[in-house]
This record gives sequence, structure tokens and C-alpha cells, in this order.
Amino acid sequence: MARAGWLALAVVAAALPLTTANTYYLYLGASAALLVIVAAGLNVLVGFTGQISLGHAGFYAIGAYTAALAATRGGLPLWAATIAAIAAAAIVGSVVAAAALRVTGPYLAMVTIAFGIIVEGVLVEWVSLTGGPGGIFNIPKLPLARYDWVVAALAAVALWTTANLRRSAWGRAFLAVKGSEVAAESLGLSPYHLRIMAFTISAAFTGGAGALFAFLNGYISPDSFTLQQSILFLLALLFGGVNTIAGPVVGGLVLTLLPELLTRLADYRLILYGLLLLLSIYWLPNGVVGALTRRRPIPRPERGEGDQRGEGDQKVEHGRPAETLLALEHVTVRFGGVTALDDVTLAVPSPGITAVIGPNGAGKTTLLNVLSGYYRPAAGRVTLGGLGTVGAAPHAIARLGVARTFQTAQLFGELTVADNVAVGLAGPRLGRLLGALAGLPATRRRERFFHAESRARLTAHGLAACADAPADALAAGLRRRLEIVRALATGPRLLLLDEPAAGLTPNEVAQLDAALTTLRDGGGPAMVLVEHHMDLVMALSDQVAVLDGGRLIARGAPADVQRDPAVIEAYLGAVQA
Amino acid sequence: MFVQLVVSGLALGSMYGLVALGYHITWVTSRTMNFSQGHAVMAGAVVTYAAYVGLGWPLPAALLLMLAALALFGMLVERAAVRPFFLAGSPAWLLSTIALGIIAENVAMLSFGKDARAFPSALTRKPILLGGAGFYPQELLIPLVGLALMGLVQALYHRTRWGKRWKAVAWNAEAAGLMGINVPRAVMTAYALSALLAGVAGVLLAPILNVAPTMGTIIGLKAFAVAIIGGLASAPGIIAAGLGYGLIESFVAGYLSTGAREIVGFALVILVLVIRPGGLGGAPMTRRV
Amino acid sequence: MRRLARPFLAVLAGSTLALATLVAGVGAQSKEPVKIGLAAAVSGGSAASGEAIKRGIQIAMDEVNAKGGVLGGRKLELVIRDDEGNPAKGVTIARELVEREKATVVFGGLHTTVALAQVPVWTELKTPYMGAWAAGTNITRNGQTPNFSFRVSANDDYVDKFLSRYAVDVMKKGKPGLLLENTAWGQSNEAGLGKWLGEKKVKPVGIEKFNWNDPDMSPQLLRLKGAGADHVILVANAPEGAQVVKSRAKIGWEVPMISHWGISGGRFAELTGELSDGVVFVQTYSFFGKQNERGQALLKALREKYNVKGPEDVVAPVGTANAYDGLHLVALAIEQAGSTEGPKVREALESLKGEYKGLIKTYKQPFSAEQHDALTDADYVMVAWKGGKIVPVDVK
Repeated sequence: MARAGWLALAVVAAALPLTTANTYYLYLGASAALLVIVAAGLNVLVGFTGQISLGHAGFYAIGAYTAALAATRGGLPLWAATIAAIAAAAIVGSVVAAAALRVTGPYLAMVTIAFGIIVEGVLVEWVSLTGGPGGIFNIPKLPLARYDWVVAALAAVALWTTANLRRSAWGRAFLAVKGSEVAAESLGLSPYHLRIMAFTISAAFTGGAGALFAFLNGYISPDSFTLQQSILFLLALLFGGVNTIAGPVVGGLVLTLLPELLTRLADYRLILYGLLLLLSIYWLPNGVVGALTRRRPIPRPERGEGDQRGEGDQKVEHGRPAETLLALEHVTVRFGGVTALDDVTLAVPSPGITAVIGPNGAGKTTLLNVLSGYYRPAAGRVTLGGLGTVGAAPHAIARLGVARTFQTAQLFGELTVADNVAVGLAGPRLGRLLGALAGLPATRRRERFFHAESRARLTAHGLAACADAPADALAAGLRRRLEIVRALATGPRLLLLDEPAAGLTPNEVAQLDAALTTLRDGGGPAMVLVEHHMDLVMALSDQVAVLDGGRLIARGAPADVQRDPAVIEAYLGAVQA
Repeated sequence: MFVQLVVSGLALGSMYGLVALGYHITWVTSRTMNFSQGHAVMAGAVVTYAAYVGLGWPLPAALLLMLAALALFGMLVERAAVRPFFLAGSPAWLLSTIALGIIAENVAMLSFGKDARAFPSALTRKPILLGGAGFYPQELLIPLVGLALMGLVQALYHRTRWGKRWKAVAWNAEAAGLMGINVPRAVMTAYALSALLAGVAGVLLAPILNVAPTMGTIIGLKAFAVAIIGGLASAPGIIAAGLGYGLIESFVAGYLSTGAREIVGFALVILVLVIRPGGLGGAPMTRRV
Repeated sequence: MRRLARPFLAVLAGSTLALATLVAGVGAQSKEPVKIGLAAAVSGGSAASGEAIKRGIQIAMDEVNAKGGVLGGRKLELVIRDDEGNPAKGVTIARELVEREKATVVFGGLHTTVALAQVPVWTELKTPYMGAWAAGTNITRNGQTPNFSFRVSANDDYVDKFLSRYAVDVMKKGKPGLLLENTAWGQSNEAGLGKWLGEKKVKPVGIEKFNWNDPDMSPQLLRLKGAGADHVILVANAPEGAQVVKSRAKIGWEVPMISHWGISGGRFAELTGELSDGVVFVQTYSFFGKQNERGQALLKALREKYNVKGPEDVVAPVGTANAYDGLHLVALAIEQAGSTEGPKVREALESLKGEYKGLIKTYKQPFSAEQHDALTDADYVMVAWKGGKIVPVDVK
């Protein structure tokens, strides 16, 4: 059905130049197609990766001027000039991104605004290159009818490549970074570099559209590349609906046609325009396409799928004697005046489960954060398999084979359950970007593998029925489970679990117990388990470490620790069964 | 020329700072901002002009009207464009405030007219000449009033009950609500104050810039830049950034060229953010994991 | 992907509906009136200019319609579109006015860049353009054959010739400092002034620029002063021109200033008070002083229709004056062509018969194949501000 919709749209677009010679309509059609291309590119940055830009008119300008200069002074044919424009915009885009993407939110918005204004200023001042305020003339043009086909086809290409991207490991990686930067890092992805890539891709699309703009009008001047234009680009995407493929089409069409429908109102036009925008922001917070797309009901896992056998989970060497995988030596962590960890020394054996217990605020999560690289200790060493890890970024440590779950499950809400696992499977190995954009056979093969493998793992953990549901629709207990499946998908040597049993029903706790036991016995990764559920801890662990106020007050076999007076005093209270 | 550049730089810079404090106040209380703040600047000038010159009211009465009108404008922005999104945790307030700005500018065009009008002031009639260059007494008055107002805002924030409520909401809106603080109302008063500051800036600048529906847009934008490089959560940072930015703009235009003014100014903004991502006064952002 | 079916069809329906309304607009249009288009800045910072041009056209149109219209009783009708000062928008509305509204002739607005972007469109769509303001030289001297762009307004090249002659021959000054706005208009004049001053063996001692909405031009003036300028040639619109004059007073530099026409409108006098006294500038027309019959009628119509109290209340007067004469010339051309077909009207304009006693001057064969500007430096007047009024200045 959806395919019929796209086909109909393609027919209409192709038919337009054939049914009318009215250059006004043809011009509008071309302008709409250009806006669709820009919105599609911006979607990669805003929709997929969750960043913002109010400076993309700057890339539009770079594309337009590069193409114009290449065609007029350089004498290049139009297609070559367009490629030059895309390249120029991409290069500048990556440089700007490297600087801009160290910040987020309004700070990022400001950097992009500043970039756009600087480009505008340079266009006006650098007269010898850009022609100054008067602009560049006599840029070669295509006849309008033929031009319409060309840009409509290119708009289709833009939409198709972004759809391919969305379906690929790159697309999932972008959405992962958007959904939870922290979780993405824990799976080996580098948010900074991914954002730069998304920004560069969006800049390239916008630059290409800019070149086409120059060839549509035959004349360009700085007045077309203002902050208002950047706002219009963003508005088109947000109105249409971010993170959808149809969104840029709706946004491009409506925001090109709407002002034309209002032209008869002269003085009141902009007031009405503002009002319409305001109303659409109220009523269509997810854009038009977002509002029209309905969620499917979430299937519940069937009874009997509760026993998680953990098959298909990665196997580490089976039956090897335990040896130290991870060692902390005199690790101290301070936040301002507070000492969260004080001179902690601990060795984690592999295979085996090490539990870390203690009262709230004792530093347990801080310990996990140090192990996974999110916090940097003020003193001490951490070694993983003999390799020092202090100072390494979380994603680098993840790539060494450390996976983790979080106190509040950090799922990639906009991705499906299966795709969450697929992110774990792929980790930093995203494949070739161009392959992803073009949907090449190699990429498609990888996709089929991810599809099959993620479902296999979900089946093994009883989540198969939810595989295609969006992750943020899962119930609490299942969220934890998914997080664990995803973490295991990276094939780690060490799995860090932060209060996995918190908030679970007794039945679910039993299932968790069984799953972790199977993992340990079946040759799974070494585990560090932060927990409050004492039954679980005592039953599962090979070693228990007790933290209180940042200091390690006891360490040893579960039974010994349970009897330790210091531990009872600090944490356990009366003797437990 | 140096003295003149310093004076006009401080004048404009202090106004950027004043308007930027408006961004700061709403940001710290609600993590939202009024992207039509520039239009509030314009509204301040336009309303005062309408009463003072149009209707012939005495200046104090016109100013009171302006303060009331702008407080209302701020509350309207909050209620119509921000509250629905702030409560839902959605970033759509960015675009809705922009949309509101478009409406405000065009309403002003319809009612006030499209061309610039002069705002009469005794302090811009005769310049003070100093060594071949000159400045208006108004340009001296502006930074003084501006700094005084900024100090007043700081006092309000740190020493009054209102300020305490804002701080509570800034730290944790949910907890503040549970403690009995009317969170939406606190945010609304923050917006009212923010618009007031912008309006005052508009009136102070009107004799120098002339009153027109488009007078505020670029000021709003530069004030946003100042708020960012000062650090959105740091009022002292913003005040310093405002003065600094105004001075740098003035010197670049004076000694280099006006064309370079925006380019250099905004390049500096990017530079500051690359070096200190939280702004000059902001703490480096630590992540809670 | 299946989820998209429903939204997709909705989208398709929506855009088809939108297109349908656009198309319907064509069919619903009546055949009777002759439409004249106006593509100008109706919003934004230059909106006053668009308003002024609209008034000039409308008043002239009312006069023509009162006498029975054109082509045997067809009334003229004005259709306005906003170019927002944006060249791409200007191209869109140019096409809309011709293709959808079927305008016979389209009038232009203030922005030179918009007019330049539209030049190839008029040739492509075979519709005459009548400029009422934008003075960029290349708008009418655009190398197109056939040339569809006409203008009743200033032409920068002529203006620069006029100003240079005044500065060198009349004022007898030899060290001009140029102060120009940093736009295409400023650029056009930089070239023109360089050329015409050069013909008189004079070179500017300094060329300074400023941006729209700049509040203070004292640094530029100080630099010109330092370079030894003995007079300043200004190219600015009213708000910036006012700031220039105020800056000049601020730094206490009593240097003679001659200006392009921008400072005539937008309440320049109000913005500058007595500081504007003595600033000399070029105009195509002035509503101050003794008015001819047309001038009196025009002022009366402005008063009745738009509540304009007197000449000092006329905002952006050159737009009104130029557009007024332009419309009358267009009406005469349509009548002479005997049709609303673009090429025929164009030819009629180029070979206009008879005499039109207009507002600005008496027009006899105003256009020809080589000349698409109805006004040349021979028609310009030099005026000066004095006490909030514009008074003529001798150019001999």
C-alpha cells in the first residue's frame, strides 16, 4: 500500500511538466523538490541523530556559489559543478561539525547560527570571489520542464538514499546516539564521530540542493542565504515529521505551496503564516507524518517463554580456571568535595560473577562507571586483561570487550526491539557509508545477518514476540531483559550489571537468576553485578565486595561476607538467612 | 575616536547583556527561551513611542504602560508558546516562539507602520565632543542604567522570595511543585521579567536606533549569542560577555570595517564555544551516568 | 513501511487539493479587467517603498479608470505580491503574476537584486517590466534582445554622472569621500561614481561602506575625514542616511554632503531634525514647492485616500511619483498596442506616440530600442533639505 502511495507521487511528479507549460507551476515544483532534498538531508542530522542546525543556509550558499563559479568561471558542465558543490559543502560541513558538535542544545544552535551568518557576511565582503552583494549572473540554466524532471529524480534519489541509510547499521547507530548517548557509547559507538558524520551528510545534501538552486535561477546573491532560509529548512522538516521518510516530502511540498496560497492576502500574509505554524506546532508535535502514523499494539510475550536459556549468546572459553580479567588498584574518584570512591582495590576473575553490594550512595554505580570509562579516577589504576584503561573513552573500553547495563534501562526508544539488539551486534563495525546509502548487495547481506541473528537472540530470551515493537513501548521488566540481550550481543568478555533486579517481580527475579546462571555456566563473560537483592547475590556470586561510603569494607566468598560484622553493621542489619 | 568607540561599545554591549539576562532567567527556570526576545525589544520601543509621541502622555506614564504591556507580552509568550511544550518536555518551544515573533513583527507593521520613526530625547540632541570624535549623553546613560538594572535583577534572584522560588524550580521543577511552589506561575513570572528587560532595552536604545518594527531582530540574535558565550546559567558571565561583545564589535567596526563586524563577532562566538563548551561562566558539563 | 500507507494517501490527497486550488485560481479569474502587477517589498524593512509605489499606481489607475479604462472600457486592476526582498521569491512571484494572474505589465520595487534576478524571466515570459524604484544600471541595460525591462526612475549611471558634475563643476570640490550602503545598489554606484568622477580626473580619497540598520557611521566618517575628504557623496536609504547625518554631527565634522535619492523618504527629516539642513540630494520629483496640475491632484488624492496631510507626510515620495507616471505611460502603451499581448505592449512602449504631460515631466517618445529609461540626468533635480522641507537647488 505504501508502495502504491510512493508510485502515485512519482507519477504526479513526472506528469507535471507534461501536463502544464505554466512556468509558475513548474518553478514551484522545482522549488519544492529542492526543499525536499534539503529536508531529507537535514533529517539525517535532526531526525536520525537528534541534533539541531539553524545554519544550513550556509551550506546551501556554499553549494550554490561553488557550482556557479565552477560553471561560469571554471567552465565545468553542470553535473561536474554539482559534484564539486557537494564536495565543498561536505568538507566545510565536517570542519564545522568537528567544532560545533562538542556542544549540544542551544549552544549548538548558536554555533550553527553563527556559521550561517559568517557565510552570509563572507559572501557580501569577498567581492572578487563572490561578486559581493550583486551576486553572480548568467549561470547556465536548463529549460524549466527538463529541469523539473531532473530535480524530481534527484529528490527521489535523496529520499531513497536516506531510507537506505535508515535501514542500515549506520542509521541504527545514529538513532542509538540520539536515543541514549550513554548506552551507545557502552556498545562501542563514538557519539562525537557519528554526529560529525550525520552533520557532514546533511551538509552534502544541502550543498547539492544549493547547486541545483543556482542552475534553476541563473542568478544568485547573498539575499537568498539568510537566517530566515535556515529556519525555513528546519521548519519544513519539523512540520513534515522528523525521522520519517515521508516527512521531508510533506514538509517540502507544504512549505513551498502554503506561502503561495496566502499570496493574495498581502499585508496579512505573514501573520497568517505565523499563526498556521503555531497551530501546527500545537496539533502536530511530531509533524504531519508523525501524527498520521499510528502505533501498532505491543504483543505480550507468551507464557512459557520465560525460561531464558541464553542459547546463542556468545561463548567464552569453556571450563577454564578463573583468572583475573579486571583489576582495580587504589582507585579514588572525587566529585568536587565529595569522595565517591576511596582507595578501592579489587580483582575481578573470569569466568565468575563478582557482586558489589552496599548502602545507597556507597559508590557502587560510580565503580561501574569507572570500569566502563564514564568517570575518570583521580588516582589509581584499572587494568583490563593487563591493559590500562584509565583515560580511555567509554566507547574505546567497550570495544575492548566490556558491556554494561544501567540503573535505569537505557534503551534506544525509537528503534525496534530487534534493532536494539542489532546495534549491539554491529557495535562500531558499521560497514561502508556509501554502501549503506546506495543499498549495495554487501550491505544487504549484512542486514539479513543482523535481522536473523537479532531475532535468534531474542527468541532465546523469550522476547521474540516483541521483536518489531518500538523499544520504548516495552514493560519495565522486559526493558531490563532487552538491555541484557543487547549488551550480550556485543560478545563481551566482561558484563557489568547495574541493579538488574530492581523493580522486578519475584517471578522475573527468578528468571533473571536462571539466565545469569546459565550464562556463567555456559561459558559466558565474567560479570560484575551491583545489586540489593541479597538472595540473588548470595545465590549467584563467586565473590562479593562490599562498599560503604566509597571504601571497600569487605571482600570474599558470599558466606564469609554475610557474617562479617562490619558488613552487618553498615548494611545488612540483623543476620540474614 | 577611541573614547567614542568605548562609549558606544559599552552602550550597545550593556543592552545586549540586559536582553541576554532575559534569556538567562527563563532558561534557568524552565530550560526554555523566548526566541522572539528581539521583538520584545521592539515592542518596548513601539509601545512607549505610541504613548509618549503618539498620544502625548508624559514620559513616566508612557514607561509604566510599556512595563505593563511587556509583562503581558511575556506572559502571553509563556502561556501560548512555551507552557504546552515545557510541560511535555518537548523542544517545540523553539519554533513556536519564532512563529510568535513573526506574528508580533507583522502586527507591529500593520499598527505602527512600516517606516522608522524618531524617538525624541534630550540626551541625543547635542553630542559631547572629545578630541575629534563624539558621543551622546544617552550613550553614557545606557550602560549605567543597564548595569544598575542587571544588578537589580541579580539582587532579585538571590535575595527575594521570588528568586528563591525560581531557583527551586530551576533545580528541580518536579520537587519544587511537590513543595507547594506553583511552577507554571514561577515560569510565567520569569517570562514576564524577561520581556520587561527587553522592553527597557528597547526604550533606552530607541533614541539612538530609531523606532521601527524590524529594529529588534538583530539585537535579539546578538543578545542570544551573548547569553551563550556568557554561559546560559551564569548571570555574571552574561553581563561580562555582553559588555565584551559590544566593545569588540565597536572596535572591529571602528578600526577594521563594518563588513567585518558580524563576521568577527560570530567567529569569536564559535571560538569561545570550542574552547569552553559551557560558555565563559559556565561550568564544564559533567555527565551523570 | 506498511505504517506509511495511510499517511501517504493523506499527504497525496492534501497536495493534490493544494494544487487543485492553485489551478482553480486560474479558471476562476474573470477576463474583463486588465491586470497590472506589482512585485515589491511589502513586508520587512523596506516595506515603506512598496507602499509608496502601490499608492502611485493606484491613484493613476483610478484616474485612468475614471476616464473609461483602456481598450474600449476595460478597467485596470492592481495585483500586488510581496518579494520579501528575496530574489528567489521575486522570481516566483514574477512567474505567478504572469502565468496565473495574467498580468499585462509588472511594476517593480526597491531592491536592485530582485529586479536583476527577474530580468531573464520577463524576456522568457514576454511580459514588460516597469521599474518604479530600483536604480541599478543593469536592470534596463541588461543585454537582452528583445529587452522587456523599462523604467521610470533613477538610473544609477545617470545619477552618478549628475552627482559628479555637481560636486566637481558646481561645488568645485576635488576630494570626494564616498559613503555607500553595502548592497548591490551601493556596488552599482561605486562603479558609476568611479567612472564619472574619473572622467573629470577626480579620484575618491576614500570609499566607506555601512550595513542596513547600522546605528552609527562615525568610524567611517572619521576615516574619510582623516583621508582629507572635502565633501562626502552618500548613497543610502532614509534610516541609514539619517544615522549618517547624525554621526556627522556627533563627530563635529561640518563637511558638505551630497546624496543619491534615498534620503528623501521614510521620514528622513523627522529622524534628523535640523541636522539635515543643507544636505543636497538628487530627486526625480519633489512634492514640496509649487506643484503642477498633476502634482496638486496627486497630493489631494493622497490626502483623501491615504490620510496624507501634506508633502512632509508623503513617505518615500519618489516611489509614488515614478509609479504614477509609469502607470500612465503603460496605459497609453496598452491603448496604442490595441491589445494586452506582451510583445505588442513592449513595442508600443518603445515607440510611444504623442505627448504625455506627466507629473515629473512631459514625456515625448520616452523609450526607444536603445533607451529603456524614461528619465535621464537631464530630468533630475537637485534639492536640499531646509527646515524639514525640500527646496530646489540650482545646478548651473
